Amino acid sequence: MDFNPCMKHKVVRKAVRMFAETELGPIAHDIDRDARFPTEVVEKMRPLHFFGLQAPKAYGGAEMDTISYAIVIEEISRISAAVGLCLTVHNSVGIYPIVRFGTAEQKKRFLPAMAGGERIGAFCLTEANAGSDAGGVETVAVRDGSDYVINGTKIFVTNGGVCGTALIFAITDTQNPQRSAGVFIVEKGNPGFAVGEIEDLCGMRANPVSSLFLEECRVPETNLLGRPGDGLKIGLATLDAGRIGIAAQALGLAQAAFEDSVRYSKERQQFKKPISSFQTIQNYLADMATEIDAARLLLYRACAVRDAGRPFGAEAAMAKLYCSATATRVTNTAVQIHGGYGYSKEYDVERYFRDAKVTEIYEGTSEVQRMVISRAVLARRT
Amino acid sequence: MLKMVVCIKQVPMVSELPWDPATGTLQRDLAEGMMNPACRSALDAALRIKETGGGEITAITMGPPMAEEVLREAIALGADRGVLLTDLKMAGADTSVTSHTLARAIEKACPGFDLVLCGFSTSDSETAQVGPQLAEELDIPGVAYIDEIGVFGQTVRMQRFTDHFLETLEMDLPGLVTVNTGRYAPRNVPLGGLQAAFDGADIVSLDAAAIGLDPERIGAKGSATKILNVYSPTAGKKNIVLTGAPKRIVEQLFERFDDKIGGAIGKDLKTERK
Amino acid sequence: MTAKKRAIWVFGDYRNYFQNRVALQLLSRAKELAAKINAEVCAVVFGYKTDEWTGDVPSYNPAFCGVVGEYIAHGADKVYLADHPRLAAYSMETYTLLMEQLVKREKPEIILIGATTFGREFAARVAKRLGTGLTADCIGLDINSEGLLVQIAPSFGGNLVAEIVTPERRPQMATVRPGTFQEIPHDYVRTGTVVNVPLPKSLPADRVRLVRSERCPQREQKLEDAKVVVCGGRGLGSKKKFAKLFELAELLGGEVGATRPVVYADWAGHNALVGQAGKPIRPQILFSFGISGAIQHTAACNDAKFVIAVNKNPNAAMMKRADVAIVADASQICNSLIQELKRRIR
Repeated sequence: MDFNPCMKHKVVRKAVRMFAETELGPIAHDIDRDARFPTEVVEKMRPLHFFGLQAPKAYGGAEMDTISYAIVIEEISRISAAVGLCLTVHNSVGIYPIVRFGTAEQKKRFLPAMAGGERIGAFCLTEANAGSDAGGVETVAVRDGSDYVINGTKIFVTNGGVCGTALIFAITDTQNPQRSAGVFIVEKGNPGFAVGEIEDLCGMRANPVSSLFLEECRVPETNLLGRPGDGLKIGLATLDAGRIGIAAQALGLAQAAFEDSVRYSKERQQFKKPISSFQTIQNYLADMATEIDAARLLLYRACAVRDAGRPFGAEAAMAKLYCSATATRVTNTAVQIHGGYGYSKEYDVERYFRDAKVTEIYEGTSEVQRMVISRAVLARRT
Repeated sequence: MLKMVVCIKQVPMVSELPWDPATGTLQRDLAEGMMNPACRSALDAALRIKETGGGEITAITMGPPMAEEVLREAIALGADRGVLLTDLKMAGADTSVTSHTLARAIEKACPGFDLVLCGFSTSDSETAQVGPQLAEELDIPGVAYIDEIGVFGQTVRMQRFTDHFLETLEMDLPGLVTVNTGRYAPRNVPLGGLQAAFDGADIVSLDAAAIGLDPERIGAKGSATKILNVYSPTAGKKNIVLTGAPKRIVEQLFERFDDKIGGAIGKDLKTERK
Repeated sequence: MTAKKRAIWVFGDYRNYFQNRVALQLLSRAKELAAKINAEVCAVVFGYKTDEWTGDVPSYNPAFCGVVGEYIAHGADKVYLADHPRLAAYSMETYTLLMEQLVKREKPEIILIGATTFGREFAARVAKRLGTGLTADCIGLDINSEGLLVQIAPSFGGNLVAEIVTPERRPQMATVRPGTFQEIPHDYVRTGTVVNVPLPKSLPADRVRLVRSERCPQREQKLEDAKVVVCGGRGLGSKKKFAKLFELAELLGGEVGATRPVVYADWAGHNALVGQAGKPIRPQILFSFGISGAIQHTAACNDAKFVIAVNKNPNAAMMKRADVAIVADASQICNSLIQELKRRIR
């Protein structure tokens, strides 16, 4: 078991870090303040395969291994978690379901534009009455000839404001919601598909999270991923993959907060000494470093299991649970270490603090992650 | 087919400089490396030539084993193959020895080359000497600090702005140029290219024996200069801190430094005493 | 038979005003170093019609005129002069060959060349031909107790300084950063000898052909050459407040620089960018307003002789490396400075 990063992973990290620091670094603060999605940086990311990180080469993707993928998301999130969020949602829960469950025709139709970043993906599951309880979904897709007509409202859709290809989780038989769910691919421009207002959120503000309205939205049956009833299976598999991306995103946040804390504690002097010479601060830094390291190893382990082709649901859930908890704890401590300055928008730590919290909520709350892990644990013991 | 060789150096990432003020030394082995910015420009120039008129690019680097990273990056950006010159005996080389090593390696690994491109200088040693010295070793014409280059058959035309002269020059291939950062801006690395560069890339590793070098003439042994001492110029800098109301601060500033500021701007800043 | 006196050579890069000043600076330092090792100072000039060159001060010593007179007046005891039509324009290969042959014949102890773009390349090639060492862009020169030339050179963007010697090979060679040394006042009564250097019988044409060369005083390097630079960062708060820097710069007769975030926010144009991706500056005084000090920016400011930084945050990197660190609102200090300067400058 070699815990040293291989050369490829080192080079990927450096290349993405350089890009992130150069292109996102100068604007990260402002896009959060103004809740502005940085389309100009997205344009630069497109030819570099940021929107097709694991997509097959045949469709214009980079076909990277999962650890490389996690590194990319982490490094982007280290500078701007909101942009990292856009990328992970697009790659993990936008492109991946189509790669895994799509027909050759669907892949050919949808993937090239997505892998090239022309169409940004979004996965739409959550509704007003359906958060952790996916069974409470009320969006309905009714068969009409060789089409489906979809009606419903999806909320808190990440990338909603800029998405070009949405994967809509809908039920096809209201009598039998669990077994009749399906994932429908709906493209922007399709009549009956409308984007609602952008949410005003505590963090991840540069990501245009919004509602999506489906009103008599008609799509051909060839836009259904898999067969009717596969929705639950696709949803669960998708969320497994998504967890790795979110874990990487949370890790990037924690890393950024930690680095800033180390630097600040060396520079800031009180009682004529740098605060890094005080044991309390040293303890904080030690705990932060240990948690981040543990989170990182959990994440890469989940990536490795996935790439080995084995079931990785529990491992991914552990990674997401732990990375997001680490992000919240580390960013909280980071603000504390920065003292009054940490509370000011002049420093980045308050943004990391605001951004971190949601990593414990979306793509499966920490409570749901525990459900997944405990089921796996209990299943193994028999 | 135009055969190009791009010389690339891996230099420490500036923001990662591990400097030990206690011992006064640079811990080079701890620093992460990156492709020297000017070498990126040289690679960009070669890539543009390849894109407009065709050609084949070999990226070559001399360094410790981890210098392979820059070759992979070069291939990800569009170079066709890489050559890594690595050998403990090569360590500690000054520019003259480096140019000798590179020259012999280029002759061995890229026979029949047409154009050698180097960055004009490196961000660590900043000597700007290897390029011209390499031209001498290879006994080919060379032009340093070019801003622009165009290939016309077996002749290249170059433009540069040096020492207040805007010059257009020409030379017949084979030749060498060192490239200025500016027009040839470094490009971002496509991630798909990186993946491919690691999946299966043509990278050859050569040591001193493989190139046929005399061990007495390379590395620190062959170098004419010796470093006596290295230090950080700003270490232990004591500065003056001014705080308080802006008006008072500015008063203090002029109280102490009116001569200094006045001298720099060429005006007398002392207030008249009544 | 007396042993030939040791010599310190300075290459006379006289082609335009700027480059020429560097040669004069080197001559003055060469004189000081020569005194320590009992050597003579020689200038080396390759050119054409060098006696018609007037520089900016005419020579009063009728024995010497033009470039030769200028160098003798500034400290050269001897001038090696190759004056020939083939040397009318800089020709790297020709100059390198001439120098190589001259050095092998005369065997100087030390050769100093100004670190102009021509000088740096020329020195590299000459050192290579002679199989000797060369230190680039020195910011100091000295003679140590062993009589060796100590070459003090920066690296890593000025973050490190090294002291280097060439223990065995000769000559000891160094290129020197312009502005490192001061010229001594001219003494047109001084005398010296001129040694005419004939061109070798066989002198191949330069393989690099100069198609066109234009003097370009119009292409200004205002920011890079400015003696006073006023740099602004995000800490100023707004485009309007940043714009005040132009007023301050005008009062100081200086130029305005900006950091990357400021350029990205469109408070200033890309041509004002001071940093690794922008321009390096080396002013006598640098005013730094509201700049935290990312390494990409500070590396480009390392040559500033005196830095006054203003920032609300006393721990910002730029504050730590400044000579004067003002802990206050950058915009307010800028305004107060403008007021005060208006009062003092008549």
